[in-house]
Amino acid sequence: MKTQRAGDIASGIFLSLLGLVVVVAALQIKGAPDVRMQPRTLPLILGWTIGIAGGILALRAWRYRGADRVVAWPDRAGALRVLITLGSLAAFLLFLEPLGSPLGTSLLVGFLVWYLGGYRPIYAGLLGLATGGTIYLVFIRLLQLSFPAGPLGR
Amino acid sequence: MLFSWDYLLQGFSLALSPYNVFWALVGSLLGTLIGVLPGIGPTSGIAILLPLTTVLDPIPAIIMMAAIYYGAMYGGSTTAIVVNIPGESASVPTALDGYELAKQGRAGPALGIAAISSFVAGTLSLIGLTFFAPALASVALAFGPPEYFALMFMGLSLVISLSQRALLKGLVATALGLLAATIGQDPLTGDVRLTFGSEELIAGVSFISVIIGLFAIGEVLVNVEQALAYIYKHKKLEWMPSWADIRQCWGAMLRSSGIGFFLGLLPGCSPSVTVFVAYDVEKRVSKHPERFGKGAIEGVAAPEGANNATVSGAFVPLFAFGLPTGPAMAVLLGGLMMYGLQPGPMLFQQNPQFVWAVIASMYVGNVILLVLNLPLVGLWARIALLPFPVLGPLILVFSVIGAYSVRYLLFDVWVALVFGVIGYLMRKLGFPMAPMVLASVLAQMLEASFQQALLISQGSFLIFFIRPIAAAFMALAFLSIVRGVWSEIRERRLEVAEEEKEI
Repeated sequence: MKTQRAGDIASGIFLSLLGLVVVVAALQIKGAPDVRMQPRTLPLILGWTIGIAGGILALRAWRYRGADRVVAWPDRAGALRVLITLGSLAAFLLFLEPLGSPLGTSLLVGFLVWYLGGYRPIYAGLLGLATGGTIYLVFIRLLQLSFPAGPLGR
Repeated sequence: MLFSWDYLLQGFSLALSPYNVFWALVGSLLGTLIGVLPGIGPTSGIAILLPLTTVLDPIPAIIMMAAIYYGAMYGGSTTAIVVNIPGESASVPTALDGYELAKQGRAGPALGIAAISSFVAGTLSLIGLTFFAPALASVALAFGPPEYFALMFMGLSLVISLSQRALLKGLVATALGLLAATIGQDPLTGDVRLTFGSEELIAGVSFISVIIGLFAIGEVLVNVEQALAYIYKHKKLEWMPSWADIRQCWGAMLRSSGIGFFLGLLPGCSPSVTVFVAYDVEKRVSKHPERFGKGAIEGVAAPEGANNATVSGAFVPLFAFGLPTGPAMAVLLGGLMMYGLQPGPMLFQQNPQFVWAVIASMYVGNVILLVLNLPLVGLWARIALLPFPVLGPLILVFSVIGAYSVRYLLFDVWVALVFGVIGYLMRKLGFPMAPMVLASVLAQMLEASFQQALLISQGSFLIFFIRPIAAAFMALAFLSIVRGVWSEIRERRLEVAEEEKEI
């Protein structure tokens, strides 16, 4: 996966498999009477397109013998940062309903600002609280959108 | 509907009354403010602010609604440029070059050009609306399902051919975008497709989640990985477009006005399509097409102009037939009906005063927006100065809000997160994202109009090639595919030849 060629081969194979899964899934969609184009037709076409295009992509990359471009994959530290950012976002979403968006947002912003920027925890925390407070005031209070308000909503 | 100077002047005297100008100003301001909130596009902007207008009489109320709409659209392009969050599909091409410009320290010029181009195209297309509306209304009627299908097919093939050297990857991205949109219920039969047993997927994948994931979250992940300190790379910062910038964009503004206005006349042809067409045209007429996607200022002027021009064009079918051309127009239609005004051929005969006051107020609204927004450009552009460790988490929070506030489903936010990862991988592996976004936006209309066309023709595909307008679009679509394939083959040959020379 270090080079464009390897990346293309891997993504081509993945796309072929995805196409295959889509075709199999599409064949199981029930047909409707009296329609010119069955509900399964478009997914079928797309499954075939993705599968075949993926195959060509992989094959073309496999046969490619020219100078290769390097894909800039992250180093270990970079990959860790991406994973922790994604993980904290996922944790935020998991706990959004009980915590409510103002509190959850405060925690997420506070944590990420501290983690990514290395600011003093107190600054990061204050910035988080300011964001959460703004969300509470603008989206929940002022615009009255039905955001999960958490403990603040009661 | 007949044009008369009397009506127009009467309209202007109403629109320019201090009371109505005041409400247009309030509408523009509120619209811009709410449009700048990430994730709240014009449609939800009008819907949220609609209740505010009910305290007014019909004329100031509609003037205020139109101003909110314009303002929200302008505000939406601000987030696309400064933080790479296009709040709706029509701002996607703006983000392509606008965010690159922001990274180069030129967020100010990009925002300024967006405002100027919106003003120029908005005003030009209003002139079109004023003088030619009756004649143009009949164009809209010539458009049936086959024409729509052909138009959207052309739009998709244009975007695939935009990906130039990665034609195959562009095709895959388009197919993936269409695939994401087919998840859920079939638009015509209601059959459940490709949900793999998930109940949440029955409601389908919201294209706003796709857009926010691919652009905003994907970009944040790439920047987080590189431990970026600031999004802009150059020390030198510019706050306002220079005369050279404006001169460079002049042609783009005029061309996008025409494209946006004429395509906007067609019911169902939303800004999402016209902005991509305008962007593509600009790239093709440019002497340096390779600059597009890397911070070409015409790449901001063209879609912004087309967006506004499309909206003016869309008022023709709305007033003349009561046909909304998109979700935002549908909300406006709801507003009109709330005041007991039934758009359609009779509106012009029964309430000419009202129609012309609204048309005149749109001229006023365009001027207000320009005057209001140019001084604010520097303020918005300074957002790009925030250190990335602060800006990045804020972008993530706004992405969550944006994805959530479409349908108030937490599931949509998870979808955005998944597309964020997909966007990250696509950036790394060199897959273009614009085709995927456009495909996911158009998929439902594409499939529905294809179905309806086949119903009309009783199953014959010839219908797309014997009706003149549809045939013309199809021909253009095939031409752009052939051209794309040809230029890819040619470049490949050149590369091989050069390598052989080196050896």
